[in-house]
Amino acid sequence: MKFDIKKILGLSLLTLVLLIQPIYAQSLPINAYFFYGDGCPHCAQERQFLFHELKSEYPNLEIYEYEIYNNRTNTLLLQQVSDKLGVGVDGVPFLVISDQHFIGYANGMTSAAIKNKIAECSLEKCPDSVASVVGVETKEVMPTMTNKTEGTELRKETTEIQSPLSDNVLAEQNKKMVKLPLLGEINAASFSLPVLTIAMGALDGFNPCAMWTLLFLISLLLGMKNRKRMWALGTVFIVTSASVYFLFMAAWLNLILFLGFVVWVRILIGVLALLGGGYSIKEFLFNKDSGCKVTGDEKRQKTFDKMKLAVQQNSLWLAIGGIIILAFAVNLVELICSAGLPAVYTQVLALNEMARWQYYLYILIYIFFFMLDDLFIFFIAMITLEMTGITTKYAKISRLVGGLIMLAIGLMLIFKPGWLMFG
Amino acid sequence: MKVLKFGAVWCPGCLVMKPRWKEIETENSWLQTEYHDFDQDKEIVGKYNITNVLPVFIFLDKNDNEFLRLDGEIEKDKLIEIINQNKEK
Repeated sequence: MKFDIKKILGLSLLTLVLLIQPIYAQSLPINAYFFYGDGCPHCAQERQFLFHELKSEYPNLEIYEYEIYNNRTNTLLLQQVSDKLGVGVDGVPFLVISDQHFIGYANGMTSAAIKNKIAECSLEKCPDSVASVVGVETKEVMPTMTNKTEGTELRKETTEIQSPLSDNVLAEQNKKMVKLPLLGEINAASFSLPVLTIAMGALDGFNPCAMWTLLFLISLLLGMKNRKRMWALGTVFIVTSASVYFLFMAAWLNLILFLGFVVWVRILIGVLALLGGGYSIKEFLFNKDSGCKVTGDEKRQKTFDKMKLAVQQNSLWLAIGGIIILAFAVNLVELICSAGLPAVYTQVLALNEMARWQYYLYILIYIFFFMLDDLFIFFIAMITLEMTGITTKYAKISRLVGGLIMLAIGLMLIFKPGWLMFG
Repeated sequence: MKVLKFGAVWCPGCLVMKPRWKEIETENSWLQTEYHDFDQDKEIVGKYNITNVLPVFIFLDKNDNEFLRLDGEIEKDKLIEIINQNKEK
């Protein structure tokens, strides 16, 4: 048998080419629906991951994107999608693959979960109920380039990225670690929001708006002989005041979370913060009065009369009921006076994605520091049986610091909202 | 010399001034002072035209003529200085 060397070489080359040539296999098409907002840094990160990393790895992936800050139609579409999935959507980025949704984006963790889902849906058909809501046609099968070797690699990679603390995440976390004297090493990202909460709560607390009712109540309580009754009525007043503030802030937060998708709401609150900050600084610079402003004589007198009536009730329960109603009404009215700081704070809170209970926990921390001066005055009075006032010097300094914080937050809300996302 | 002090129970600045005056009065037993509540003593509040800010301190001479009026939180040292300067009035 005569071997033709040219034929052998040709056949070998053809075999090699065929071996290297990828085998066309069936890979299922996947639709992803990506809701994002312009200027939202987490959205930008997720977008980068979806279009540059994931799309090149999975050509069978079709990504539909919807900008919601500047597009009312897309905002409504997001509402429809969330209704369809039966989930509450508090912010963006919001991604839907099959019937699974991903709220927020943390590089390394969310990306791993997204990749897992894509890998799963590439092999097995996943339901796509969102397609009908957004008006996208679903495809049955899409040919894509793959081979056995790539398939093995894909599974291997999937296993690797399931680790919640991949190298990327650790590197990201290390970037945010800051060494501070006394406190040691802290994570700047997770530290910033609690610090801001404490600072803003305490600054808001120096606002003397609702303090006058507490002081008047204490003056009435100090005239009593029954110390248990004094403690009970004072505590009820403080707890009710805190509850009114909590309800107001929670309602405001939910409103912002609902409207937060619309960019002008954020800008409007930013403008409010600039105005409030400017006013506080103007007051610090030009208002040299260190005393208490005398306003609303008639209103104050009426409140005093009602409070006297409530405190003098023979029945403790009637007195408590009266104090609750009064505390509720007074604090509700006085909220107008101090709405600036809590409104701006809740906007900052809404920019940070977290579980609902965490939002409320932050509000509680804010209120605790807001009430700290009231608690101080109340406890001192109950223990020493003498009234104490907090010097207005602190209120003056808090005006300056609060004003500067408000200005900074206002500018960030308008121009760099990403800087207020601490997570 | 006599000092009329105007304040209110709901005014933190007035509460801050109370112990300061108490110390001054203890150290200067000759000094005559009178405290008037803004909400209760309407007549004298009206007479001295106390309207915008509390606390208010009105310094009267031997003939009950006002020669100085201060308002807001005042440092104890400053008050002592004023009292010593006007002791003979």
